[in-house]
Amino acid sequence: MKGRNLILVAFMFFCIGVELTHSYGQGFQVNFQGQKQQGMGCAGASLVQDASALFYNPGGASFLNASEVNAAVTPIFGNVMFVDSFTNKSFRTNSPVGTPFNLYALFKVKKYHRLKYGLSITTPFGSTVQYEDNWIGRFALTRLELKAIQFQPTVSLRITDNIGVGGGLVFTTGAVNLQKDLPIQFYDGSFGHAEISGKAIGWGYNVGLHFKANEKLNASFSYRSRTNMKVTSGNVQFTVPESLNQSFPDGNLTSGIPLPSVATFGISFKPAKRWDIVLDVNRVGWKAYDTLSFDYALNSPSLLDTKSVRNYKNIFAFRFGAQCNVLSLHEEKKMMLRAGLGYGFSPVQAGYVTPETPDGNRVYFTSGMTVYVSSHFNLDLSFYFTKVTRSDRNLETLLSGTFTTIALAPGFGLNYSW
Amino acid sequence: MKLFYCHIIALLLIALMACKPKEPMLSVHSGTADFSKFVAIGDGHTAGYMDDALSIHGQQNALGTLLQMQLQLAGANPTILPWLDPSNVGINTQQQARLILGYKTDCMGIQGLSPIRFSAQGEVVSFTQSAYIPNQKYSNYGIPGLKMIDMVSNLIGNPNDQKYNPYFGRMSMDQFVLPMTGTWSSVQENVLFGGYPTFSSIYLGLEDLLPYAKSGATQNPMTPVSGLPNVGFDESINQLLSQLSSNNAKGVIATLPDVTKFPYFTTIPYNGLKLDAASVVTLNQIYGPLGFAFHVGENPFMIEDPSAGMFGVRPMLPGELILLSVPLDSIKCHQMGSVFPLRDEFVLTLDEIQQVQSRTTAFNQIIRAKANEVGFAVVETSPFYEKTNAGFVYNGASLSAKFVSGGVFSLDGIHLNPRGNALLTNEFLKAINVKFKSNLPMLNALNYNSVLFP
Repeated sequence: MKGRNLILVAFMFFCIGVELTHSYGQGFQVNFQGQKQQGMGCAGASLVQDASALFYNPGGASFLNASEVNAAVTPIFGNVMFVDSFTNKSFRTNSPVGTPFNLYALFKVKKYHRLKYGLSITTPFGSTVQYEDNWIGRFALTRLELKAIQFQPTVSLRITDNIGVGGGLVFTTGAVNLQKDLPIQFYDGSFGHAEISGKAIGWGYNVGLHFKANEKLNASFSYRSRTNMKVTSGNVQFTVPESLNQSFPDGNLTSGIPLPSVATFGISFKPAKRWDIVLDVNRVGWKAYDTLSFDYALNSPSLLDTKSVRNYKNIFAFRFGAQCNVLSLHEEKKMMLRAGLGYGFSPVQAGYVTPETPDGNRVYFTSGMTVYVSSHFNLDLSFYFTKVTRSDRNLETLLSGTFTTIALAPGFGLNYSW
Repeated sequence: MKLFYCHIIALLLIALMACKPKEPMLSVHSGTADFSKFVAIGDGHTAGYMDDALSIHGQQNALGTLLQMQLQLAGANPTILPWLDPSNVGINTQQQARLILGYKTDCMGIQGLSPIRFSAQGEVVSFTQSAYIPNQKYSNYGIPGLKMIDMVSNLIGNPNDQKYNPYFGRMSMDQFVLPMTGTWSSVQENVLFGGYPTFSSIYLGLEDLLPYAKSGATQNPMTPVSGLPNVGFDESINQLLSQLSSNNAKGVIATLPDVTKFPYFTTIPYNGLKLDAASVVTLNQIYGPLGFAFHVGENPFMIEDPSAGMFGVRPMLPGELILLSVPLDSIKCHQMGSVFPLRDEFVLTLDEIQQVQSRTTAFNQIIRAKANEVGFAVVETSPFYEKTNAGFVYNGASLSAKFVSGGVFSLDGIHLNPRGNALLTNEFLKAINVKFKSNLPMLNALNYNSVLFP
């Protein structure tokens, strides 16, 4: 019976979210790297509960007492609708389900328990947007696929009983695929098409400091650096009428996309035995994304290198959540229920909203739970909901209207420790 | 119990997939206007003339058709046009088919893209059969070549008169009415026959200027500003608007753009005479005695100008225009525009451009004044055409007035293509919305065809 109640509670959160009528991160950030944090409004950098600390706070990882492996996936069901302000026509996306995942492995050093090392594999950036055929913005974008996987070998050291430091090198491998229609028509009236694709790699780092004030209060600071993703061997392919083939030569291109830095300050507080309250503040260095440029190896009078101004700004995000052990006052039997919410400012300034990231300031709601199956094994569930509305007139394409995004993301994770 | 969970999970998944933003509910209303009996009156733009012919595809994408389609969202009558042949060959007054973009080999043997006729002959059958159906009222009196002063003409429907307009002839009610009345009916009589419109759109006046400009200002004089109906612009529009506004009926009327900025006049540059050293020597020998010197590179074309000294020949001046009617092969291979000056009929000189422009301004002043008198909305077309001349971005696509590649004008360089018509329709819709407080939505012009490439 208890299991049924829990599912009902989760379902209630879902319904509340829908009723409140208001993606999953700002820009093309994806803030799903830990199921326990996701349950609490994506906050919890300073509350070390599992190996996801490798990502959220390398300084805190050393506070874990065991070796641990952790795997989780969070399918994102995102739906975007665009209502054009001149024609009143609405258009939707039929994007595939996004599947951000994370894998963590954290090991203690046998003879020196203050030192931990580990590896994290995460997907903190990415986006796949596919608009319906013949949509009004087809000459701006029909499909964008942005994938990035980050590998982060990490070392974490508990310097004193209260202070831990850690750091890791971040290697990112990514792929981009951008498609749009061209306002050039074949004899049958169909439109031309352009597809840009490429692979990219980049390097960065992630460092953190954890401070345990007392049994009730923890604080942390972590900084993930900016990573410049360089597309060195991209490719552009045009589908145009035969008579225009020479004007639109297929060929190589170079480009680059920055993944912004993220600085996180976190606080966790234990007001009572069963309870934890967490608060995270992020500062995301989106200013790095000022221009999206494509440098084509072969140019023609119709195909010049493009520089498309993005003009993103640095933003804050505030995340808040709580968890409660609903089974017992003591630690021997545990089942955690979680809830949280957050507010993120959009890095996209007025005049620069594009179909690739129809982003706006957002409120989001989350809930989650962990079932401790045994002392070695626990199972996480989380749920995320947001609705974002953004009206804009893009200065470059002059596409004008309102994007409404609803995103739901149920997450599932497994932990094994020893 | 397991089955129960399975159901719950299935339900949740369905809920996740189904959670989509809701479409806004919007009702379109006509404001203070009544679109229930709409009629579009105009020339080739309103009819759907494009690519130098009228065809069924053009009719379907005509200014009048697109405008009525949007007005139908707020109660306008069904669209009834004298549709042309479904073969979509098209026809103009020289019995030619419409233009398409195809490959053509020029006098130097170089193959390139060029406007060519869709077929050797137009759909002549359309001019030999009447499209008139008794008791059916056309909602579009767009007639290619129709002038403002022609509205009350009793001659343009008369096949035996030299003013006969076959586009009007095929839709006129005369074959049924003539035997009873003994006189040919005018366009206006056709429009008003069987009930006055409650709302009309008028885009007339371009044909009062264009034939003169297209002849290089050599023939087809422009319509006088003043004069009786059927003679002068002011009295003609006066009587038309007083008829169309009787019983407090409303409408929309457009002012006229500067036709000399159409690609037909602006595509070939005045200084497009590219010379090598040998040609420079030859030309300097010929024209040196007249005081004209040439140099390697770009030079102004030589033109006939009776007012230019003893020989009536001079180089073109910046701002002067060469018409698309000029035989390009003669320029490329037979020294037209250099050894043999361009004939007057292919050129608009500064004076001639000025004449056309000042007549346009005079017409526009009359259009505005009369429209205000009868409470019609006024569409200022000049800002739209000027924006197009400068080039602009529209929903991610770059558009301009550039011939072929600009995406707005059809291959005749004068009439808009479907995309251009949709853009111009939006200007009409905006003017109607402002004047009559309606909320008609705009068209997405990129849904309408531009030039098609092989």
